[in-house]
This record gives sequence, structure tokens and C-alpha cells, in this order.
Amino acid sequence: VSRLCVCDLLVAQCDANCCCDPDCSAQDFSLFTTCSVPVVTGDSQLCSQKAAVYSLDVEANPPEMIFKLIDQVNPSIFCIHATNYKEALYLKSPEIPTPENFDQLLDKFGGATFSAEPDSWNLDTDAQNPPEANETSRYEYGVPVQTEDAFLRLPSPVVSSWCSDANPAGFLVNQATKCIRSVSVEKCDSIQALSMLFYINSSILASVFQVNITVQSIIVQSLDGMRTLLSSSEGLRLPMVLDELCINAVLGVNYHITHTDTGEIIEAAAAFVLGAISKEALTIEQSFEISFTQENTQPVPLSGNPGYVVGLPVRAGFQPQGYPFPAAFLSNKHSQLTILQSTSTQDCLAAQGARAPVLFGYNMISGCRLRITAAMKCQPLAQTLLDVLKGQSFPEYVASFGNSQAQDVLDWVPITQLHISEQMIPHTLQSSCQIPVSLGIEVKWTKYGSLVNPQARIVNVTATITTTTLKQLPSGRERIIPITSSVVFTDISSPAEPSYKVWPTINIKLPFDFFYPFV
Amino acid sequence: NNSSQLSSLPLQILLYVNVIYYIFYFLATLAMIIYKSQVFSYPDDFLAPDLAVLFVMAVLEVPRSYLGFKGNLTEAEAVLGLSLGLTVGSVVLCVYLLLWQTYVLWADVLLNAVLLSAYGLESGLKVTAIAAFVS
Repeated sequence: VSRLCVCDLLVAQCDANCCCDPDCSAQDFSLFTTCSVPVVTGDSQLCSQKAAVYSLDVEANPPEMIFKLIDQVNPSIFCIHATNYKEALYLKSPEIPTPENFDQLLDKFGGATFSAEPDSWNLDTDAQNPPEANETSRYEYGVPVQTEDAFLRLPSPVVSSWCSDANPAGFLVNQATKCIRSVSVEKCDSIQALSMLFYINSSILASVFQVNITVQSIIVQSLDGMRTLLSSSEGLRLPMVLDELCINAVLGVNYHITHTDTGEIIEAAAAFVLGAISKEALTIEQSFEISFTQENTQPVPLSGNPGYVVGLPVRAGFQPQGYPFPAAFLSNKHSQLTILQSTSTQDCLAAQGARAPVLFGYNMISGCRLRITAAMKCQPLAQTLLDVLKGQSFPEYVASFGNSQAQDVLDWVPITQLHISEQMIPHTLQSSCQIPVSLGIEVKWTKYGSLVNPQARIVNVTATITTTTLKQLPSGRERIIPITSSVVFTDISSPAEPSYKVWPTINIKLPFDFFYPFV
Repeated sequence: NNSSQLSSLPLQILLYVNVIYYIFYFLATLAMIIYKSQVFSYPDDFLAPDLAVLFVMAVLEVPRSYLGFKGNLTEAEAVLGLSLGLTVGSVVLCVYLLLWQTYVLWADVLLNAVLLSAYGLESGLKVTAIAAFVS
């Protein structure tokens, strides 16, 4: 305790007002006003402990520092007399590895993580018993995909950018990772992570059988970055050393897993990108991706599951010809609800057709300026403006939920189109034509589902085109009118009604002849 | 002492006092262990042995006291000897709680010291009584 000094922060220099600092001389003490650390003691809950008391004697000339080592006694009857547990009052100093305890320390602390509770949690996945077949029949979101020996590995950077092979792929978690691996061209056929076999040799456990990982396609990337797709009859290509290059080294793997709607994996395929490593390269960057698709559906990026997530695009589609025949499905490939995107030139007619997708929950407004000259004809201008506002393929239906499937027709909401004409002059009989000047899309949505986890559901979409009459301009003059388009999201959810169960009532009915023989 | 009666009166009084004191001791030690587990860091690996020793001692106390009473009143030296043997066991457990508990508070030291001295005095009186019964 006499050697501890909390205020001694500067090395080989005297700290101001620090009475316990060994670097201070008597002259420094004479300049102090008080002692910033008057007492240094151990744990005050002990019954008796040593305390170092520092004080300044200001009466003396010059002021002196007085140091006393006393025994501090805790008078409470519940003071700690003794302990048999070392970590109770101090931090345990770590064990120094010696040849005897090295193996035991390596087991305990050798992994990437270790728990504070000793021997109570084994992180080593190889030591786990392989699960029973009927336990792996159904996967849930986020559960690691199990294979024969361990888990389906998706190498990813952990802490630093180096690849770690211990990252399991979670079911239904679409991931894309990039990481760096150290390589050497001489030993490239012995590095496991560069060979295709490493990624497809284990088969995935699913329901009662195992699913093998098939090779879907192989793309070969040359040293200058050009990629060629090989025909599928090539089979496995293993890395080998050729002319100071290592060819057929795995640069990227793309897993595609197909599953049923009950969570059973039925197919797995891997697409490889193989490349060549030159002699000077010490590291290569590998990229890995995994995506999950439900069987018999097209892989469509969901905007929420099931309710829309704020910030994800609103999904839209068309009804094909021949609806309402039950065989016709809505097609929603490549179609989104989009609005005009403002450009820097702000000229409507020179707009390159840049459109921005409508993101759920984000009200947007955009526009451009239209310069009208006398020479412009009205009808083509109106048609052009309509194209500018609505885009090339304005959809007819909007998905009600973020995960609406194209075949569930009832999950799609038709877009109602309205026309409002802004009459500046209260009626003209002339065949004055109307040009659209603004498009307003109003999306009404409601909260749907349970109180604690409400899902956003689109109920109504209205697209309103406002037109105005185009006055004929005298020749030589020109006018500039602003064209706007906007998207507004309105929450029309009715207030939630929590429903409670009725209080149970006590139903007691006396038997008919209870009061016999008095009645 | 009447010449016809060999039962020891001091031993009987001490046995009564011991029973009452032990009840107080058990409740106080249990309360202090609960207090320690809340205030200090008391992992389960260390809490379990301490609690086990306390409960074993409580379980041992019942036959020990009963046999002591019975042995003294019926002047049977075998029964009293058995009680003496159980007392030795209780003494060992008491010493554990005094010295090798995870946290020994000052109150622990006091309670255990009093209990140890009571056991010691009791053992002495029992030995004397056995000697009186045998001869």
C-alpha cells in the first residue's frame, strides 16, 4: 500500500499536489497546497488493513509532507476477517505458461473466443455430437446449415480482413462476404481453401437424406481480369502449378440453396470463379455469397417479410393478358414503382429517363422545368410529358405486402388513376388541349397484425395526374412551367384495439329440490 | 449428586442450552451466507460447499442432541458414546466454517468460536458422565 500512488501519472516528473509521488523532492512539496490523494487503502470491507496516509504540514516552514502507515480497523461486525477465495478482493493475475500447463491453457484460451465461466461452455464445434437426422429436418431463420462434419462454411473476415473458415452460413440469411487469404504459389495445390473440393465435399443434412452440393457453373478469370464461362461438362478443376502460376485457384464461390416453404433444404448448388495466382502475389481476395430461394418461385428481392420495411422499394407489377383466367399470374419482373428523378439540368425534355424507385415510407418530390415555345404542338407535348412523369412502363398493381408472391392475386392492390384538370380560365370551348403538369402518387398504408409487431400493408394507391390548359403563346415568346411528381405515404391505420378476455363468471345453480322439504 | 443417580445435571443443562443456541446459530449463519452472496462475488462453485456443510451440520445436530439427552437420562454409556462421536463430526464441520469458508466475517468468527467452546465443554462433560456410568 505504501508503494501505490494513484496520482503519479508523469514518469520521472513530479505531479502537482501528489504527495505520494516518489519523484517529488522536498522543494516540490513546499509548493503544494493540499494532498490530492490523502489516503491509500485496500478494500475497506476487510476487518483490519494497512492504510497509507499522506498529509501536508502547512505550519512548518517550508511545508513538509508527512507519510504515515497505519492500521485501519473496520468496526462493523460484518467485516471480512479472512477469505479463501483469491479472486474475491483482487483481480487474478493470469497464469504464466510453463511446459506443464501449456496444453491446458491452450485448450482453454486457444480459440477465437473463450467464456468467463471455466469448463462450462465448450465452443469447439467438432466436439459436439452430430445431431440426429430428424432434428435437422426443418431449419429456422438464422440456424446454421448443418453438413456431415460441421456446418456449411462461408469464409468471412472476422475482426481483421483475413478469412476465417469458422463462419457458418445461416439458413435464409443471404450473405455476401469478401476476405483476404494468404497464399504461396509453390504450395498452392496443398492449400485447401484454394481448391473447389473444399467447398463442395461435405453434403448438407436435410430431413432424411443428405443433399450434395453440385457445381452449377465455373467461370475462369484470367490474370488481366477477363472472365469466361466454361461449358458445364468440365467437371472438377483442382489447383495446380503451371509456369510459375497457380491456376484453378478459387477466387469466389456463390452458393444457391433451394428450400421448401416448410424449411427443408432440397437442393444446393455452387458457382465458382477460378483464377490464376501469379508468383509475386502473397495474398488473394476471395468473395463468397450465399442466397436462398424457395422452390417454384422466382428469386425476387423482398421488400419486407411480410410487412414493408421502411426504405425498401415498393414492389409493383402488371397483369398479363388473359386475366382473370386462373392460370395467368402477375409478372413483377423488373418492374418497380418509379418516379421522375430530378437532374441537374432540370430540363424535362432533355431528361435521360433517369427514374428513382419509390421507397416505402419515404415521401419524395421531384420535378423538372419545361420550356414551352410557340412552335410546340400540344398533343405530342402532352404525350411526352406523360412519359416523362409516368415512365416507360407504369405498373398497374402494387404488392400489398413486402413478400407478396406473384401467384397470389389477392395480395396485389390496383393503382387507381385519377385525372384532375386545373382550369385557369373558367371554361373555354376551344379545343384547348390539356398537358399534364404534375403526378401525385398517394400510397395509403395501414398497420396490420399484432400490437407488438405491426406489419406495414399497402391498402390503396392512387396516381393523380393534374393537367392544365396550354395557352397559345404569341410567337417568339416562351414560357417555363414547372413539372412535379411526388409520392406521399399516408398511414391510415385505425387505432389498435387490444382485446382482453372476459372475466370468468361463477355460475352456481342450486339443484331444484335444494330446500326440500321447506319449499 | 445423589449416590443413586449418575446422570449429570450440568450436562443436561448444557444440552438444552446447546440446542437453543444451535437454532440461533443456524439461522444467523444462513442469513449471513445469503448476505454475502448478495454483497460479494460468490460464484456457485464456492457457494455450494459452504451451504452443504451448514445443512449437513444441521442434520447431524438432531440425532446428536437426541442421543445426548437419552444417553444422559438413561445412564447408557453406549448411547452417550455415540453422541460423543457425532459431536466430533460437528466439531470438524464447525472448524470448516470457521477457517475454510469462502468469506469469514467477524460475526462468523464469533458465532463459530462460541459454538466450538460449547461443543468442547459438552464433550468434556460427556466423557465425565461416561466414566461415571461405566464405573
